[in-house]
Amino acid sequence: MTDRSRLKRTLALAAFAIPVIIYPLVYSGSYPVGVGIIAGAMAAGTVGFVLLIGYAHQLAFGQAGFLMVGGYVNAILSTHYHIDPFVALLAGVVLSMAIAWVIGWPIMKLRGFVLAMASLAMQFIFIVLAVESDFAGGALGTQGVPKFSIFGISFANDTAFYYAVWAIAFVCVAIGLNIDRSRIGRALKAIAASEMAAGSVGIDAIKYKVQMFVVSAGMASAAGSLGAHYLRAMDPNVYGFAYSLNLLTGVIIGGLTSVWGGALGATVITGLRELLRSLALPLWESVIMGALTVIVLIAFPAGLAGALSALFDRVVGRGGRAGTISLAPDSTALAPAQNPPPADGVLLDVRGASRAFGSLRAVADVSFTVATGSITALIGPNGAGKTTLFNLIGGYQPLDAGSVLFRGEPIETLLPDEIAVGGIGRTFQNLQLFDNMTVLENVMCGRHRLMTAGLPSISARLPKVPREEAEAQRAAHAALAFVGLRGAEDVRPSVLPFGHQRLVEVARALALEPTLLLMDEPASGLNDTETERLAELILRICALGITILLVEHDMRLVMGLADSVVVMHHGIKIADGPTDQVRADPQVIAAYLGHDPHTEAHERVAGA
Amino acid sequence: MDFAVFFQLFLPGLTTGCVYALVALGFVLTANVSGVVNFAQGEFVMLGGVVAAALVAGGMPMLPAIVIATIVGAIVAATQERLTLAPVRDTPHFIRITITLGVAVVLRGIALILFGKDPLFLPGFTGEGTISLFGAVLPIQSLWVWAATAALLAATFWFLKFTDVGRAVRACSINLRAARLMGIDAERLTLLVFSLAGAAGALAGVVITPIVLATWDAGVSYGLKGFIGAILGGMRNPVIAVLGGLGIGVVESLAAGYVSSGYKDAIVYGVLIAYLLVRGGVFLFGRAALVGNAGE
Repeated sequence: MTDRSRLKRTLALAAFAIPVIIYPLVYSGSYPVGVGIIAGAMAAGTVGFVLLIGYAHQLAFGQAGFLMVGGYVNAILSTHYHIDPFVALLAGVVLSMAIAWVIGWPIMKLRGFVLAMASLAMQFIFIVLAVESDFAGGALGTQGVPKFSIFGISFANDTAFYYAVWAIAFVCVAIGLNIDRSRIGRALKAIAASEMAAGSVGIDAIKYKVQMFVVSAGMASAAGSLGAHYLRAMDPNVYGFAYSLNLLTGVIIGGLTSVWGGALGATVITGLRELLRSLALPLWESVIMGALTVIVLIAFPAGLAGALSALFDRVVGRGGRAGTISLAPDSTALAPAQNPPPADGVLLDVRGASRAFGSLRAVADVSFTVATGSITALIGPNGAGKTTLFNLIGGYQPLDAGSVLFRGEPIETLLPDEIAVGGIGRTFQNLQLFDNMTVLENVMCGRHRLMTAGLPSISARLPKVPREEAEAQRAAHAALAFVGLRGAEDVRPSVLPFGHQRLVEVARALALEPTLLLMDEPASGLNDTETERLAELILRICALGITILLVEHDMRLVMGLADSVVVMHHGIKIADGPTDQVRADPQVIAAYLGHDPHTEAHERVAGA
Repeated sequence: MDFAVFFQLFLPGLTTGCVYALVALGFVLTANVSGVVNFAQGEFVMLGGVVAAALVAGGMPMLPAIVIATIVGAIVAATQERLTLAPVRDTPHFIRITITLGVAVVLRGIALILFGKDPLFLPGFTGEGTISLFGAVLPIQSLWVWAATAALLAATFWFLKFTDVGRAVRACSINLRAARLMGIDAERLTLLVFSLAGAAGALAGVVITPIVLATWDAGVSYGLKGFIGAILGGMRNPVIAVLGGLGIGVVESLAAGYVSSGYKDAIVYGVLIAYLLVRGGVFLFGRAALVGNAGE
């Protein structure tokens, strides 16, 4: 698998870099080199955009606004203040990233694609400011921008500038690729697949969305700077609404799911625009760009990069086929918890938890405790409020009243990812796996909270990043071995049978080395053999020193496993205590069976 | 404060605000039944304007030109829904929304090719006279804009409140999935609401054109300002969306008059961003602001 992806990376680099290097040698005229420079600048601007749209699923329709910021900062600093153009470029990048951070942070918290319009509004504000301010040169813009230079090394020659521009574009691509194959890349894919599950492994969705907005702003700004040096001028029309649309069309045609897609799309779009210009069809540009956007999104959402990747798969072989799946669990794969909380204490303390939906009191004043090291089951008929209570504990819904203490600390105001970071793992009743990643990557997502590399070190791929990745891989393999699922590491989870997918989810939750594991109906959808295996797995997890709280319908499983049971009915707790004692509680029997104790179902509850 | 000056700014602002209000309403209704924010919403206004102006300039009487322009809006919107949204009902939202932007760009481009770059003129429905109101002098056409908007809003709210189909639309806005499970045919409803939103947008474009002229690239700004109204209503509440649209028109006009006409767009869009920053909790430190939303 790694050999295969390394081959793919190398091929992609070669397929892109060789034509870029050769191009000005073959077409040395000032027009073709100029087109190459425009394409290269745009390519730099698209990398972050792909991460923002294709990975984080966040739309920004006014991305050219950041090219304006970069272009103007550079034009003004290098023309009026004679600052080195490369330093000015960096200044523009920093300013753009700061703007993106300030507006991105609050806006990303709002749902419903607000960023799309907000960024467009931002771009129009920039245009108005540029037109109205004398400082930026008004409608005429800033003229006489010097040729590009880096710390005094001049790139006065167009061909030299071409190489400088593309070198910067490749730096952007490299940063994008580094992000792609890191914990942040996985986090972005996880967010795109299921924000709920991403939260359950401690991924702060908003933080990474904002980070990608900031990265995309910085790269767009660099692109704008380079463009201003090529044009030797900056005016308000250079990076207007049409440029934002071209950028968007470019990344869509190039392919939203690959960092290379952006650079590829930028090249194609630039070529296409020049073609239309040479055919004297500039009026048609808008129709063609718009139509391409629509057609590609409907028919080929993976774009050109997706098509090339499919071609690679066909030639080299798909890879990622499941090998022989081994279901023999290895109990020694995971080490017991390192710093277990003192035994015989209370690990989780739910006090008076309440939550109503309209007039329906789904959970009303429920209190119970979970002892450290125990297996506690939360049972009750359908609609008793078990899953709601679970969601309250996991931070997925706010409590109306009451509190939840974990290791003595209140956690009821925390969000799901913060709760996961605190050491509470969970599995879902309806599987929430990330189907845009392999099984191994899914489990590696569980390591997120235990990894420390941040955006700067990941961008530069400092030595600690691959080290941490290797460690996460090892831990993910161990978690899969522990649950008993080996040989399926390289496939998408959806190709696995349901029971195996459930094991992947358990492995993902175990990978975050939880102190407490919440399991929401882990046996639902499993057959008898699988349920038995699950029971055995739960006991082995408990033996690692991990406390377990589970919601379950399957009474045999509960009665065989749980040390203590909490029974809910119509949103209130009706019984609570050691399993044997609860089993005999007349109220519990009534809740489950009505008042006739001589039915077959009675045997099911009482019998075990 | 000079009230004549105030009304001379306020009333024209209300007039353009009518268009924003109808666009905002279109945003809210289509988003609720289809789950997609239709970024081509502003283009229907542009289409209505340019089509009616071109027809009248070509010698067609006013009334049939208005009717045809409105029907064009409905047909274009319905076609958009059938061709570009219905086939991709299951793809992720961000892709479907981007598709609507692509459609908007195509519509702009077609308008540019068919009708050219220059603004198109449409005479007032009842001449070019002016009226005086609270000391402000307004084109008579303003009355038509207000009347048409009032009629469209009344019809829309009657439709939502008192017809079965309207109730189905409201059900979708509360919970799209539950509405579908209850047997509401969201496919047909989506097509219907798109057509109505297209027609209403185009009609708004027709009535405003005698005052502001019609240009191929006006759709973005109508769309953005209507979107601000829709956002103020949380993309859910049609009444607040309409009031928001009207308010944006007024703010824009007052900003142009009292501050500077060059900065009016910057002020309106600045209001949007400021509002979003406040709603997103820029003044609340930490992540406490989020907890309330976590369950949504």
